[in-house]
Amino acid sequence: MVMSLNIYGQNLDSRLLIGSALYPSPQIMKQAILASGSQVVTLSLKRQNPAEQAGQQIWQYLQEIVAQTKGHLLPNTAGCKTAKEAVTLAKMSREIFNTNWVKLEVIGDDYNLQPDPIELLSATETLIKDGFKVLPYCTDDLVLCQRLYDLGCQVIMPWASPIGTGKGLMNPYNLETIRMRLPEATLILDAGIGKPSDACLAMEMGYDGVLLNSAVALADNPVMMAKAFALALQAGEQGYVGGVMEQRQTAHPSTPTLDTPFWHQQ
Amino acid sequence: MNIHINGKAYPLNHEAQITVTAALALHFIEPQQSTFAVALNGDFVAKGDYDTTRLKNGDSLDVLLPIQGG
Repeated sequence: MVMSLNIYGQNLDSRLLIGSALYPSPQIMKQAILASGSQVVTLSLKRQNPAEQAGQQIWQYLQEIVAQTKGHLLPNTAGCKTAKEAVTLAKMSREIFNTNWVKLEVIGDDYNLQPDPIELLSATETLIKDGFKVLPYCTDDLVLCQRLYDLGCQVIMPWASPIGTGKGLMNPYNLETIRMRLPEATLILDAGIGKPSDACLAMEMGYDGVLLNSAVALADNPVMMAKAFALALQAGEQGYVGGVMEQRQTAHPSTPTLDTPFWHQQ
Repeated sequence: MNIHINGKAYPLNHEAQITVTAALALHFIEPQQSTFAVALNGDFVAKGDYDTTRLKNGDSLDVLLPIQGG
């Protein structure tokens, strides 16, 4: 039996967490998110001219999606480069969205948008003390993931590859090692997913879920791609639960050779 | 005095400090109609503190609204 995803005590039917950015239109965003079956939608905060209507329209759509899916908003701290910035943005998000969940991003390098592990740990510690449920976006560094878990992160979100690249799982060994060494943590693969097979592979490794945005939003047909990812996650999860056979070094015939018409006893 | 709201300068004729509530009235047409949160000089200001938190010369207010995100 396939279990539901548990995020800080909330059981969710889907193991896909999905972003709300980069879609061709707000209407397609809504259709794609609903087609994905996801019950967790990421969003952010930014400066906007109050006269602009676009932001209010997106906010209206996101509220409708959450109501329709009985889902959850997951505000991020995108754009923050220091722990202080991330903590301030998390507090602002908590007030607006009425949630203590935060996808914690603290970027350390502008080229590959790699998280800053030092600032990330600092912000995590501050936010957990303040009652936040932190979902940290981090690299596939085992020791960093252990430190985040030790600080109280029940959910940890290592990257597959840099944000928006679609390069898939750059380092499967690291990701498998994190899974093996942190068996109790809820592991969500976040960022860099390009194809449904990438998500399937993560689930076959025993990851608990996948968070993606660009792979759906930038697809030729985001709605169809959202469905494809939903199916890929289900396939990967059931593959993991089903128990993958062990690889063997030599060939073994699938069809019994004994008494086949041209069998030759050696 | 001068204050900044979302990077835009607002020269004010009077010398007295103004509250966050008063500053927001400069920024918004209808503050009560919008979903937003505020930070003063990089520190979060809770809604309940808008009337008691004051801006002085050179202060910077960030007013953030929901937007799509990944």
